[in-house]
Parts: sequence; structure tokens; C-alpha cells
Amino acid sequence: MRTNKSLYVVLAVIVLAQGVLHGGFLQKFWGKNYSPGKSGVSAELSPDQIILQLFGFREFLAGILWVRADGFFDQGNYDAVLPIIRLCTILDPKQIDVYATGMWHIGYNFTDEDQRSDRRYVPSALALGKEGARQNPNTYEMFFETGWMWYHKIDDDYHQAVRWFQEAGKRQDILPARRNLLTQAYFRNGQVSEALDLYYNLLEAAEKRLKEDGQFGAHQQYATVENNLDTTLVRMVQRGWIAQHSPEGRAQNWYATGSYDTKPPFDVGFSAKATVLSDRVIRFEGTWNVLPIGTRVRVVLRDADYPRAKRAELDWDMTDSVSLDPPRNLTYMQDQLFVRNRRFNRKVDMSKDPTMYPFLAKKYIIEFYYNPRSAPPHIQDKFGYSGEGFTDSKFRNLEARPSVKFVPVGKDEKGNTTEWKLEPLTGLQQPVMYTSLEIDQDMVRRKGEWVDKTPVIKTANYREPAQGKEKEDIIMVPTLRAGANN
Amino acid sequence: MGAILSIASTTVGEAIRRRVLLIILMIGVLLLSIIPSLGVLSARSETSTMIGTMFAVLRGTSALIAIVLTVYMIPNEIERRTIYTILSKPVQRWQFLIGKYMGAVFSLGLMILLMSIVMIILFQIFQRPEPGKLLELARQSVLYFIEMCLLAAVAIFFSTFVTPLVNFFLSIGMWLVGTVLNPLYDSIQSNQGASPAMQMVAKFVTSILPNFANYDVKNPIINPGQQIQNETTYYLGTAGYGILYISILIIAGIIIFDRREV
Amino acid sequence: MGAAIETRKLTKTYKSRALGKINVVDHLDLEVEEGEIFGFLGPNGAGKTTTIKMLLGIIYPTSGEGYVLGKEIGDMDVHKIISYLPERPYYYEHMTGMEILKFYGSLFGINDREKFQALLEKVNLAADASKTISQYSKGMQQRIGLAQSLLNDPKLLFLDEPTGGLDPIAHTEIRDLILQFRDEGRTVFISSHELSEVERICDRVAIINKGIIERQGRLDDLLRGGRIEIIADGVNQAFSDSVRGLDATVSFHGGRLIVDMPEEGDVNGLIDGVRTAKGNVVSVIPRRRRLEDLFIETVSSAKGKHDGEAA
Repeated sequence: MRTNKSLYVVLAVIVLAQGVLHGGFLQKFWGKNYSPGKSGVSAELSPDQIILQLFGFREFLAGILWVRADGFFDQGNYDAVLPIIRLCTILDPKQIDVYATGMWHIGYNFTDEDQRSDRRYVPSALALGKEGARQNPNTYEMFFETGWMWYHKIDDDYHQAVRWFQEAGKRQDILPARRNLLTQAYFRNGQVSEALDLYYNLLEAAEKRLKEDGQFGAHQQYATVENNLDTTLVRMVQRGWIAQHSPEGRAQNWYATGSYDTKPPFDVGFSAKATVLSDRVIRFEGTWNVLPIGTRVRVVLRDADYPRAKRAELDWDMTDSVSLDPPRNLTYMQDQLFVRNRRFNRKVDMSKDPTMYPFLAKKYIIEFYYNPRSAPPHIQDKFGYSGEGFTDSKFRNLEARPSVKFVPVGKDEKGNTTEWKLEPLTGLQQPVMYTSLEIDQDMVRRKGEWVDKTPVIKTANYREPAQGKEKEDIIMVPTLRAGANN
Repeated sequence: MGAILSIASTTVGEAIRRRVLLIILMIGVLLLSIIPSLGVLSARSETSTMIGTMFAVLRGTSALIAIVLTVYMIPNEIERRTIYTILSKPVQRWQFLIGKYMGAVFSLGLMILLMSIVMIILFQIFQRPEPGKLLELARQSVLYFIEMCLLAAVAIFFSTFVTPLVNFFLSIGMWLVGTVLNPLYDSIQSNQGASPAMQMVAKFVTSILPNFANYDVKNPIINPGQQIQNETTYYLGTAGYGILYISILIIAGIIIFDRREV
Repeated sequence: MGAAIETRKLTKTYKSRALGKINVVDHLDLEVEEGEIFGFLGPNGAGKTTTIKMLLGIIYPTSGEGYVLGKEIGDMDVHKIISYLPERPYYYEHMTGMEILKFYGSLFGINDREKFQALLEKVNLAADASKTISQYSKGMQQRIGLAQSLLNDPKLLFLDEPTGGLDPIAHTEIRDLILQFRDEGRTVFISSHELSEVERICDRVAIINKGIIERQGRLDDLLRGGRIEIIADGVNQAFSDSVRGLDATVSFHGGRLIVDMPEEGDVNGLIDGVRTAKGNVVSVIPRRRRLEDLFIETVSSAKGKHDGEAA
């Protein structure tokens, strides 16, 4: 019965030893390498995630739920898919397909009757992408998908697309064809040298792969890169980029003395008018003196005090938190005004989707925006890579879009970049066309004094078409190709 | 040592004849057998689903076996008075307790081995993986075995002073808590809203309570492609942790059992 | 010979919520000599098994001292030379008789198959050695229990109800074995309700009741104080009257005299008196005091004493 006192001492020593071993090494190692999902993906604690750790069936459950989600997709019940997406990503953060499809679903599938996207969801879509990348840092997919969201859906802030595509390119499992897209992102961000360098690297890699593996895919990749590079080089010459940026060109002042497609800068002559035809139905019309088809002028109508709003966009990167519920009390409409015969004329009917366009605020702002960096190639042949051949006498704006790039500043233990900072691209401007008009709730809703009066707001330079028909009134401007009118 | 091994051997003989344990084992093997057919139900790859679910069954079944095996061990001996004939021999109480524990460990090892063999065979038949993958499966099974040895030690410790029914729930509760200690700790540490005092408490609690989450290393097996450095050191560390904590529980159990009226 | 078992004021106290502190064994002073068969008797709940458990070190005394074969109780060296057969023993059912002996033998470090075989023969289980315990009858289980208690060649055996639930033949077999143990020089400590068996084989007994030893000593001494019945014919009323004053119970009817007197009385004098009175001695029957009588008397008087104290 008399327990040996030394046993207590041994017990105390062992308790201490296991505490040190566990707290000092095992716990951290497990959290870093074996945890099924990082618990701190958002600032808020998620009890579900903790409890579900208990079940080893998480991957299986997530898989079954995702199959269920497929059913909802087929039925068109998009709202029902949202909670399943979230649950699947909590249960099984390694199921990349859920993140990728979820991003696409949230970013693209919520639209109004005219297929205009509900962009209030875009921050959540991006947040999902970022979370997916954090949870799956060793594979390229989520980096690529997030970059694609910036590049294609948002079609703005191209430094973001560049960053994400760069990260995707660092992962070993990236498909060769997907690596190519970084060149386009570089172009759109005005980083033409980087794009060219990358083309040469891709060509070298494609050549090497062709020698090792004579499969059709390798041939195709090589041919694509070679073709793109050829076209790019021709364009670079024609647009005067080589003249402006090569050492010889600068030394000999080729651009100033030579004849290039981007000279002189073309005045697009933008003007616009917005007419509120009825409650939440607005007609946008105006001028854009570029004859070739391919121009799309962005129009945004939003709450004047929409949180984190920027010029003709929102701060899409505003959150890391995935919300299934957009801010239903705010209004944000974005559409493209297609230019034909130097005019645009589009009726935007928001009356059919009151939940998407609640118009609860008192004041609104209509913004018109155009960035030559996102122009199609045949238009960019005139405007140049960074708007060198583009101007607007009234609405050219150099502050709306700064030229910047991301630079990595912090890495984790495995060498993955975890922190970036923004740096300006020296000597590079990003001229855009930007203007805005103010409008209030009564005007949009045709209430109060506007019940019987038609609200019309326009830019100061707007002139009605002389004969009332859009295609009759053409403003004479030089053709897009320099010297052609001589 | 001879007495300990004899008691252990007798315990194994009894355990492998206990119907309840054999039924649980049979259910575990049955569940493992049907898992390959469930892969088609899930959107995830069949391999990942199969591995994840099989490990879940293996772990859950082993935990149940470990607890059911050990909660009745000491109370049964007292109730049936077999303990009297043993303690009247030159056998110390600590030898008896350790002998019973080692018997439980051997029995557990046999049952986990059987389930692991079934799992590996099924995986080989349905997935035809490379040998490295099978080795990974075996390695996780070994870690689960160590985890269950720790759980058995928890149950044996409790059995020295509580009734079997209370012990059953205490042991299950301890296992569940121990399984979420790591993610709970992570959450509290990374939560901006958590006060420093809360974080200290979390650190203290996770250092004191037995941690079962450390033995769950299946994530890189299900989602390969990760480079893990110093893995062997980790495995040795978890084994060492298990041995240390088991020692704590057995020594504490001996101290209590020494004073207990039988 | 020294004392095989000796206790001084050995006490075991239990605490109960309903009844408070209870002395299950209360200041026990017990002495068992080496080489004897000692009977430890008492009603249910008297504290017999508790005493045995304390002596074996299975439970711990609250106070007092106890010595077994000269060593303090709980000493592991003593456990090597004592053995215990519990009341209603339970053995691992999956084991055979031989395996049981092997198991318990291993606890002593004994691994002698021939010895196990000899023991099985001693208890008449050699033919059933390969059967499992689940196949054994109650008597066979008791015998295997005895066999395991002999594994270490013990100097002292504790037998708790060794014949409980056995048929008369098994009774006899067990009894003969116990007597054999004594002949071999072992000390046997028996706790039993079978008073007739105890009376037949025990040298000394102790009667415990409510944790206190009420009687302890040699059986002969404890059972002293019997009576003798003398029947005589052919005597007259006057003779019968003369006998009445002799601390005897006298009955006289139709010439038949029946005298019931203590065995220490003048039996020969009475017989001579009958002959002198020309009577005829029909029978002289000694009626010895029985252990059962002693037991009932002890327990009843103890009950009365305790009730009186309580009042």
C-alpha cells in the first residue's frame, strides 16, 4: 500500500517530458504537414470545421455532396448549390474541383434576365479562389483559376492576373498550354518586355519538349508559341514598340521620325447620354469614333457610396471571407456598350430584377470607362499596348488605373510566396477613358418630380444626332492607319 | 516479468474469445469490404475516397475495440474473484495491472493487424497501387495501433477507480476530445478574437490531455504531392509520445490500484 | 512450534453513508499454530472473508497487526509459501485443467509438467486434464482449485468453504485431502459453515461474530461439558427420590428410572447404587456437546449481549 515516493517523481518528470515533446515539436509538425485543412482560413472560428475533423469520412461525404450539387446545377437551382459548395470546401479542402467550379458558379452564374452578371458576388468568388489556393498550395490549378477570374471575368487590374498566373507557373504540374496565358496577362498589364521574354522561354521549353516527346500535344504547343511569337514581333514593330523600347530605337529616335500605326494618337471622341425611359430602364447612347467593330465601352451604375468602390469597378480583392449572401441592399450594374458605326445605343432594363437592382440609396453614379489595354488586337494595333495611340480630348484619364505590378516579399517554409507588395511600373502610364454622371433615386425610379418628366443626363459634349438616326451622323476623323488619309 | 507475461497471455486468450469484441471486429471487416463499392457514389477520386473511408473505419472500429476490451478488464477480475487467486500468489498489484494492459495491447494488435491486412488486400485488388502506397497504408495502421494502445491505457487507468459504464463514456469522451485537440488549438491560436489568456489555457490543456490527433497522418496519403521533411523524426516522436503518456497512465493507475480495496 | 498466523487487534473499518463507520473486523486477536487444522467459523457477514483477505494482503487493515509465518502480512516472500482457495472460485473458462496449473505455476516461476501431472492425479483430475474449465463440474472445479493451491508446496493453506456445494462423496474426498495436508506438516486455515466437517477434522477453532472473536481454542476444550443418560429398571420410588438431588434430570415411571446428568458427575456411584437397590442398568449413553450447539449458543449469547449494549 505504501507507494514508493520516487514513483511520484518519475510521474512528474514524464508528464513534463511529454508536454515538451508534444508542444515543442509534434503539434506544430502535425499542423504543418498533416492537418486536413488550415483552420484559420478566415478570421472567424468555424465550429463545423472542428467538429467534422472527428469524422474520417469527410472526403467521402464531400464527394457525395458534390454529386448532389450536380443535380441542383441541372435543375437550375443555383442558390441551393452555394451552401453545398461551402460545406464541401470545409469538409474536404483538397477537393480542388469544388473550389474551381464554385468560383465559376459564384462569379458567373448569378445574372439578371438579360444575362448581366451580379458582380456583387465577385469578391466572394475571388475569396473562394484564394482560399482554394491556400489550401492547395502545391498544385497550379487554383492559382490559375483565380488568375483567370481576374483576367476574364473582371478584365481589369491586370497586375492581379499577372501575379496569379505567375504563381500558377511556378507549380510543376501546370499544363504547358496554360502557362502561355501569362504572356497575355503581361501584355494587358503593359509588361511587354516580360511577355516577349516569356514567349522565348516558352518556345525554348516547347522545342525541348518536342525533342523529348514527339506527341501531337508537343507539336501543337510549339506551333502555337511560334505563331504567337511571330505575330507579336510583327505587331511590336508596327505599333512602334520596338522603336520606343529597343536601345537602338531609342538612341536613333526611331519612333519620332518613323511612321507607325500608333501615330498620331487617335481621339476617340467619347460622348454619352443616359435617358431613364421608365422605372429602372435606362437607355445609354453616345459616340465613339472608332469605325472597326470591336470596341466595348464599360458602363457602371452603382450606389454613389458603395463601399470600396473605385473608378468604374469595385475593390474586388476586398475580402478573404466567402459569403454566400451578397450585399442585397446595394446596387451595382455593369454592362458593355457595343460600338457600331461609331455610335452605341443600348437599353438596360433593370426593372425585371429588383433583387439585383434594389435602388435603395438616394444617390447614384453612372460611370463610363474604356481601357485600351483590353482592346482586341486589331484595335490595339492603333491604340498600342498601353494606349500610346489613344486619346480622348475630354475624358482621357491617367489616374484611374495606375501601372503597377506585384513583387513577392514573404515566403513560407516551403518557399511558397505568401506576401506581396505593389510596385509602380516605372515610366509606364495607363491612359484610359473615364467619366461619370450623377443621378438620383427619384430619377431612376421615376418618382416625385420625375413621374411625368423624363430624366436625361449627358456629358457636356453630347450632341443629338442631326437626323435622329444613329448611323447618319458621322464625325470625320482620320483613319486608324497613319498616313492613310494623305 | 514471467508473471506479467503469463497474465498478459491469459488476457489475450480471454479477449479473443469475447463475443462482443469478435462481433465488433467482424463488423469492421465487413465495412472495409464494402467500401470499394462506395467510391462510385462520390465525386472525389475513387482512390482518395477509398483510402479516407477505410482509414475512418479502421480507426473507429479499433477505438471501439480498445475501449470495450479494457473497460471491463479489472472490474471483471474483481467481480469473478479471479484476482484473489492471483494476488494471493507472489504477484504485485503493479505486475497484475501491467500484465492486463499488455494482454490488451497484444489483443488489440492482433485485431488491428487483421483489419489492416484486409484493407491492404482490398486496396491491392481494386486499385493496384505502387508498393510505396501500400507501405504508406501500413505505416498509418501502425500509428493507429499506437494510438489505440494509448486509448487502452486511458481506459485501464479509469478502470482502477470508476465503474465500467462510466469508464466507457469517459474513455470515448477523452478520445473524441483528444482527436480535436490539434485543430482546436490551431483555431484558437489563429483567431484574432481570442484573448491571450484563452490561448494560454488552450496551450496548457493541449499539453496535458492525451493527444490522439497526432497519429492521424492520412492527409498526405489521400492528397499526395506534399514534400514532408523529417518524417521519420515525427514518427519516432509520436511513438515516444505514446510511450511516455502510456507510462503516465499506467503509473497513475498503479498508484490508485495499490490503494484500492478489491 | 511457532504461530502460523498471529493477529493483534487487527481491525478493518468501512465507511457507509447509511450506517457510518462499521468495524467489519474488530480488534481481532487470532492465533493459529503451525501444523494444525484451524477452523474459522461465523455466521454470514461475520468478517471471515475480510479477515482472510487481510491476512493474504488483498485488502489492507485499518489498524492492528498481523503476521503470517512470522512475517508481516503482505510480504511477498510469504506469498511464495502460502496458498488460497477462495469461496466459489472462478477460473478462466477457456483454459484446460493443465493450462490452469501452468498459468498459476508460472506465477511462482514453476514450469514442471510432471509436477502438474502429479497434482492432477492427486486430486483425481488426471483423466480430465485436457478438458476446459467450462466442461468441469462444481466438484471438479473445486478440485482443480485445490490442485492450484498446492503448486508451490505451501506451508499454509487458506481454504474458504472448501466443500461448499459438493456432494457427499466429494465432501469425503476433500476432507481426506485436508487431513493428508496436516499429516504432511502443513497448516490449514479453513473458513466454513459445514460444522460437522469442521468438528471432524479441526484441531482448533475460532468463532467470529460481527467482527469479534467470541470463542477460540481447542475443540475438545470448547466442547467439554457433555451429559450422560443412564436408564435403569427395577428400582423403587425411594431410590429415585434419592437420585434427584444429584444435579441430574430424573424421570421415574413404572419402575423405569431415567437419569440425565453431567458427564463429570458420579456416574459410577449411581450405577453402584442401582445395583445395591437390586435394580438393573439398562443403558449408559454419553451425549457429547456438539459444535453446532456451541456455535448457536455463542452467536445467540453474543446477540443478546450486543442487543443489551445497544439498549
